[in-house]
Amino acid sequence: MMYDTSDFRNGLKVEMDGNPFVMVYFQFVKPGKGTAFTRTKLKNMRTGAVIERTFRTGEKLQAADVDEVNANYLYEDGTFAYFMNQESFEQVAIPLERIQEEKQYLTENLDVHIVVFKGEPLIMTLPNFIESEITYCEPGARGNTAQGASKPATLACGVTVNVPLFIDQGEIVRVDTRTGEYVGRVKE
Amino acid sequence: MQAERLLQRASVVRAIRGWMDTRGYREVHTPALVPSAAFEEHLEAVRVGPAFLHTSPEMAMKRVLAAGLCRIYQIVPAFREEEVGVHHTREFTMLEWYRVGAGTHELMDEVEDLFATCARAVGRDLGSFRRVAVSALQDPSLEPDAWFHRWVETVEPSLTGAVIVHGYPAWQSALARIRGAVADRFEVYADGVELANAFAEETDGSELRRRLDASNAARSRAGRPGHPVDAQFFDAVSRMPRAAGIAVGLDRLVMVLTGSKSIAEVQVGREL
Repeated sequence: MMYDTSDFRNGLKVEMDGNPFVMVYFQFVKPGKGTAFTRTKLKNMRTGAVIERTFRTGEKLQAADVDEVNANYLYEDGTFAYFMNQESFEQVAIPLERIQEEKQYLTENLDVHIVVFKGEPLIMTLPNFIESEITYCEPGARGNTAQGASKPATLACGVTVNVPLFIDQGEIVRVDTRTGEYVGRVKE
Repeated sequence: MQAERLLQRASVVRAIRGWMDTRGYREVHTPALVPSAAFEEHLEAVRVGPAFLHTSPEMAMKRVLAAGLCRIYQIVPAFREEEVGVHHTREFTMLEWYRVGAGTHELMDEVEDLFATCARAVGRDLGSFRRVAVSALQDPSLEPDAWFHRWVETVEPSLTGAVIVHGYPAWQSALARIRGAVADRFEVYADGVELANAFAEETDGSELRRRLDASNAARSRAGRPGHPVDAQFFDAVSRMPRAAGIAVGLDRLVMVLTGSKSIAEVQVGREL
């Protein structure tokens, strides 16, 4: 399938020179006496590098042959993280170096979203929020509700987040994986 | 936020009218509904039954010059099909003025002074203008397609600050006079956004007719309808005196002066 400049939008996935790109910016431009163009920024889904390209109106781009699958985290072996494709029940391996930010949130069975390009898993997206038990933090200071006061807490998944002072070890908290911030306590 | 932008827009318009009045420019009104709305190969007019909405008031304002007025301006909606984006809307507001006896250098001085006046009206400063020849920015031997591609991809983003770009290739003359290898026209940019386009006006009707025929031939090759010939314009243009004229995208000027990110932020109710 081909995309035309009128199909351009953020999130569009295209293939150029064998590489998968996702469109992260587009702008219609038309110099006073000239033809119309669309300026774009495209992020290489394999390397993360962002390139700028300008296309003439009507120019066509090859749609990237991507599948988006739901998967569950299984385990990692120091080089790869392994996931189970929920539809095919096949194992999907992603190099850990490609998910350095995300891997800290992975816990067994966590539901994730994987973008696969021609059989090659490219991007693993975490749920926006995860819930995890606090395995270590300094004892709670009940009654201390000072605005903004916080302390570091280590979660079962391995991440350290800043939590309010009144939170205790053993409690389950909710964390935004996009910002790495504590968003609330989960009542059991 | 929106109310503030609209008040700033009103301040800019008031500053323009005051500036025009001080310099002896008379406000004129010409019809938006016209028998032929464009001249150039890459301009698409909005069609209304058998007529069109003007893409700029240029052709009608030249008839006003032919009628004997020497300094005229107009603030008017203009319409262009197939142009929608952060800096484009099908309907936008154009400020256009003409000065008999002037050339592009006089208009450069005027537009710099006017924009500084508009900036002061909203407490801003555009800084001093640079003046750059197109030949210093772009290889003049490039074919049109490659010329525009490189212009959009490389040159425009490099035009930071307030810049006047002058002396375009002759094949981009539109309705400007050609001197040697270049068209005697300039454009004004602010932070890479094109704000204005000015011509030393070509007044030879037969030369303009050749250019219209050439642009219509190119349109026909591209499968586009030709622009109709407006006989009254060709009659008037041969009678008008030597003049220079400039068109300013008023919405874009307000956008730049108010630090807005898109033209939509300085307009209300544009849904088409």
